[in-house]
Amino acid sequence: MIDVINYFNLRVKTMKKTLLALLITAGATQANAMSYEFDVTLKGYDGSATSSVAYSGQIARHALHNSLKKVVSQGDQAKMLNYLSGKEEGRAIIDPASKEGFAIKQSQVDELSKGKDLLSSAYDGVITGWPGNPTAQELLQQLVELAANSKQGYDPVNGYDYTQLISKFAMGAVFYNKAVNHYLEEKLEADQHPNNEAYKEGVPYTGKEHVWDEAFGYFGAPAHGLELSPKEVVQITKQNPEYFAKADANDDGVVDLKSEMAFAHAYYAASIDASSDTTYFHTIMQAFVDGRQLISDADGERLTDEQRGELKGYAATIATAWQQVIAEAAFKYAGSVYADLEKIAIIEDAQGDVSKAFRDYVKHWGELKGFALSLEAAGRDLGSAQSGLDRLIGFSPVLFGDMQVVALDGQGGFVQTNAGIMQEYKLNMIKVQNLLAQHFDLKAKLKDKTGGMSAVLEQINAAGKSAEND
Amino acid sequence: MLENIVVWLGDELAFAGSSLLDTSKRVSVWYLVSALLFAGALLTVRYGRNGWHRLQPYLSWRVWFHYSARTDYKLWLVNRLLLALLIPKALTQAVWISWLYFYWQEHGFRDLQLGWSTSVVMVLFTLCYFLIDDFSRFFVHWCMHKSPWLWAFHQVHHSAKVLTPFTVFRTHPVEGLLFFLRSMVSQSFVISVFLVAFPNQVSLWQIYGVLVTTFLFNVLGANLRHSGVALSYGPLIEKWLISPAQHQIHHSVARHHYDRNFGVMLAVWDRLFGSWHAGHDDQAIRFGTQQAIDDMGVLGQWLQPFKDVHQLLRDRIKHGRMWLKPFGLKKRPARLDREGRS
Repeated sequence: MIDVINYFNLRVKTMKKTLLALLITAGATQANAMSYEFDVTLKGYDGSATSSVAYSGQIARHALHNSLKKVVSQGDQAKMLNYLSGKEEGRAIIDPASKEGFAIKQSQVDELSKGKDLLSSAYDGVITGWPGNPTAQELLQQLVELAANSKQGYDPVNGYDYTQLISKFAMGAVFYNKAVNHYLEEKLEADQHPNNEAYKEGVPYTGKEHVWDEAFGYFGAPAHGLELSPKEVVQITKQNPEYFAKADANDDGVVDLKSEMAFAHAYYAASIDASSDTTYFHTIMQAFVDGRQLISDADGERLTDEQRGELKGYAATIATAWQQVIAEAAFKYAGSVYADLEKIAIIEDAQGDVSKAFRDYVKHWGELKGFALSLEAAGRDLGSAQSGLDRLIGFSPVLFGDMQVVALDGQGGFVQTNAGIMQEYKLNMIKVQNLLAQHFDLKAKLKDKTGGMSAVLEQINAAGKSAEND
Repeated sequence: MLENIVVWLGDELAFAGSSLLDTSKRVSVWYLVSALLFAGALLTVRYGRNGWHRLQPYLSWRVWFHYSARTDYKLWLVNRLLLALLIPKALTQAVWISWLYFYWQEHGFRDLQLGWSTSVVMVLFTLCYFLIDDFSRFFVHWCMHKSPWLWAFHQVHHSAKVLTPFTVFRTHPVEGLLFFLRSMVSQSFVISVFLVAFPNQVSLWQIYGVLVTTFLFNVLGANLRHSGVALSYGPLIEKWLISPAQHQIHHSVARHHYDRNFGVMLAVWDRLFGSWHAGHDDQAIRFGTQQAIDDMGVLGQWLQPFKDVHQLLRDRIKHGRMWLKPFGLKKRPARLDREGRS
């Protein structure tokens, strides 16, 4: 009971702070007023650093992920492994790279952080939504191998777009998992990286400061994210020259990947907000800033249980909204898959060429599947939603001839079987959207193919089903 | 294991208890009180100070603690537990609606694109939802009386010798299951059709989270239907809305009241089916079936219907008549059954 009261107290405090922060944002006259920038608080630090913020290892992994996505479609396995599990020096940042009107400060991964890889940070638990129940780490390796054997990352026989599958799943299995399952969870405990000690010898930041920064780094937002509109964040990721000035917060003529770029789920949060009236990006960003401010305010002292409780409140806000962002993205792509199937039916009726529509179908399915698998790649209990999503989406899209991948054979090849009519897979997409909307309490619901069913169901369920007569 | 069962029992009972404060439940205190105020006001207008005396059955401890009423309460609680197990979990409303929504579209039914405003769609949807819900309740109820097989289960509800608002829960679990299916089928139908015709515009008109018609029905004395307070809406309104007095006629032991007033809110269905009967503030009615079941406890209420079904089956086999008689025969099976034994 006391826990519940504490929780509500915490929520009220969080709300007050958020409200205050919003007011400050609205009235901000100073640049960088709400930036993710914090001074050194570590007691006894005698170095020259003035900032205690550091998450370059996470940004290096964002650069690895972005670059990996580019090389998957080239089909070179050695290159893919270089960005997935390699740690060697001299790896170029293929994306984001400088382009006309949008100069990037760094061009080598080592300029961000040395010796980083994606694979070792990926979730080591089982992924039930892929044949053979691999761990997330095994699945990423498996996907890279399959991509190398496909035609530039595309397998029309089984309906896989490896570029999408690898990219979308890696974001969940590495960034979302590490932040939500690791830094914002177990690392917030009292005995883990206390705030009255340096994170490690010689660094200008405390244990808790760095733990929080690492989670923030994985989200992928620019440090001045609170000053940007969702649309601006989206355009920064797309390296639109018209938005270069918005990205270049310190006006030095180059965009610093360490603090001025938007990556991964920060981009998806902003893109959902830009297309609806949700505020996922700013909610998450604000909670990160507020949490970090709380740690800074402790001024290098060990956090009290109450402070850690409050910090966990911010962490919960982040984790919930982050999960919703991934679920919103899956929701949207389920809608795309549905629309692709409709297109295929129309083209088939007219006896036209379906290859382009089928290519889109496979691409969108890869995005849907990648996001759906991400939800189960962070050690969070999804309850019945997990098996529901696994079954409804299946191990592959339903292909021509009404076939679908159902298992792996002894040699690691995919086994297909008849899965019912291809067009009836649309019904699965309706159910997927309903399940996501209801289970994760989604708000944006882009590309809704259910006609707004989940909202009506909510009303009906609230009104109560009646088993009574008169 | 045992711990889980205890927790589950506790949760279910707590949930049942929470109905007493839940505005979506007819037996919530708000509606119990609003019924009293509504009836009090109406009867005072009609009969002056004497009006309040007519409320006596609603306030009488002898009614609320009558053996029959206590069976109502027990059935309410134990049926909850039983229905939690009986009602199929996998076949949810979402599954039904998704399938129907998909089915209509695959068969060429599309967005009507009428350009109607969302508020117009809301009113139209609420109206259709209400009409289909009310009619399906009427129709299933009608079947319950017309088929001896169904009557065997529905007699539990009619075995109440005193009526209290909680008599609404005095049902056999089999009937509960049928009514659950009824609500699922009728709601899924109307919701799926509207979702296709007016995508992203469908919502119910609600007051305090309750369907507007249900809210009005409950505020305006739905609880009086199952009470000893005879309250008529007057000859004009009763042709359209079923009054408490009319529903009490439905529970009457008098022969000329048999199979009258099956409706819940609207009286039009009864008029269409020829089962409408006017109520009156001064009607004096005895409730029950005048069968042994009237005096039975929970176990009897549960088992007697199965015994009756068994008996029916034996009779049918004996006479070589396995199938139901067509509906609408002059001698109604349900009546036959009740009369035959009285």
